[in-house]
Amino acid sequence: MNLADVARVHDKDLAGEVAAPEAQGLMHAIMSEEREQLTVARPRRKVRRGLVLGLAATATAVAIAVGAGLPGGPATSYANAAVSIEKTDEYFSVNITDPTADRRRFEEAFRAVGLNVTVKVVPVAPSEVGKLIGPIVPDGFTWHGSIGTQSIEPCSSAFCAKVWMPADFPGRVVFGVGRPAKPGEPYADEAAVDPAGEEALSGYVSRGKTVADVRAELRRRGLKTGYRLVWQYPDGGFFDEAVPANRVKDHWTVASTRPHSSDTVDLYVTPGKDAGPAPSPHPQPEWYDMPD
Amino acid sequence: MGADPNSRFVEIYETVYEPILGYVLRRCPHPEDAADVVAETFTIAWRRIEEVPAGDEARLWLYGVARRVLANHRRGERRHEQRTAALRERLAASPALARPPEDEISQMGRVFRDLPDDDRELLSLVAWEKLDHGQISRMLGISRNAVRIRLYRARRRFARSLAKAGIDHPRAVALEGSSL
Repeated sequence: MNLADVARVHDKDLAGEVAAPEAQGLMHAIMSEEREQLTVARPRRKVRRGLVLGLAATATAVAIAVGAGLPGGPATSYANAAVSIEKTDEYFSVNITDPTADRRRFEEAFRAVGLNVTVKVVPVAPSEVGKLIGPIVPDGFTWHGSIGTQSIEPCSSAFCAKVWMPADFPGRVVFGVGRPAKPGEPYADEAAVDPAGEEALSGYVSRGKTVADVRAELRRRGLKTGYRLVWQYPDGGFFDEAVPANRVKDHWTVASTRPHSSDTVDLYVTPGKDAGPAPSPHPQPEWYDMPD
Repeated sequence: MGADPNSRFVEIYETVYEPILGYVLRRCPHPEDAADVVAETFTIAWRRIEEVPAGDEARLWLYGVARRVLANHRRGERRHEQRTAALRERLAASPALARPPEDEISQMGRVFRDLPDDDRELLSLVAWEKLDHGQISRMLGISRNAVRIRLYRARRRFARSLAKAGIDHPRAVALEGSSL
């Protein structure tokens, strides 16, 4: 038995459907519509990809660049104590040897192969230490080609990945490297919360429970509570607004929970009918928005 | 982006219409309803053409949009529009789609249908859309680790439900080359 067989139809059965007059007619009908501006801004954190790093390794502190093309142009490969990057026809092959290295070592390597990126060292939960976060494009990625990463396993370094990114992308691109957070220090988020349910507490489902119930469970575990209201917009986007406890009613429903710091868990709460109208999204600056 | 919105939209439509139609058809109880969901999905892409990522990422982006449109559709938002009438008819008459969905006729299909929505969607993305963890994480906007954990749990719940339904060897059910 194969789960694929449960599907009513496979993509291969639909080959050529796009050329059907009905499909072409629909395309022209859509394109005859005005492309009006949407009134609700897309929520923050549009493009984020996270990858997992392994344990730190060490390497000799020597930078090696192999050049090609014009003098002064980007190298096709570069290696220093922290990372080695090799440009292929389609992507950049990135091997991180020391995730604890100074962020400038990573930036230097990316720049050597022609990628202008920012690397930040950010506080994360113990389980996330060493992870590479990103690439994050704070202003959104609207350019030719694609941007993203794919980890490669097995990996003999601390972390191996393919990185796709057009070298001429003019926008700001940020990678994060996770370091252990200090007690009580807020973690840097890797990605937007999944409003459909993310759980922070082992052996406990918070989704669908009341705020009062989940808060009681947190108290039982000796944890503090933070609050975020999850506002949904008609265009399918959402915005999570950090609010003080007095903005949240005990009977409202929790959608997700996420660790905020070593001693606090954030409740992502669906605003009740008595919550008033949804505000315009007003995201707070994230770690990747901060000046380099 | 380089290209003007019209030619870019045509390129996207020509490239991903079939996978998006497939995605929607596999999740719509009635094939003809897929026409409206597909139309709405591509209308959103047209309005937001500047936001649609390039390359294969466009397909993932549109899967994400289709997922939300389908959710609204299931919540009862039914809009049969004039512009989809022809496509509705084509899909209703398609012999490839004439047989009832497998989830109505096979035991495994029924068990699968009764899984929680989130589990079913994750397993479907792997088995039907053939997405890997990275692609699913980008489509859903969650971390790869979260995808891995949720998939693990979904597989486990599916295996448990199969066992409960009297399918003695749930490990015989394959999911993309590996057993549950």
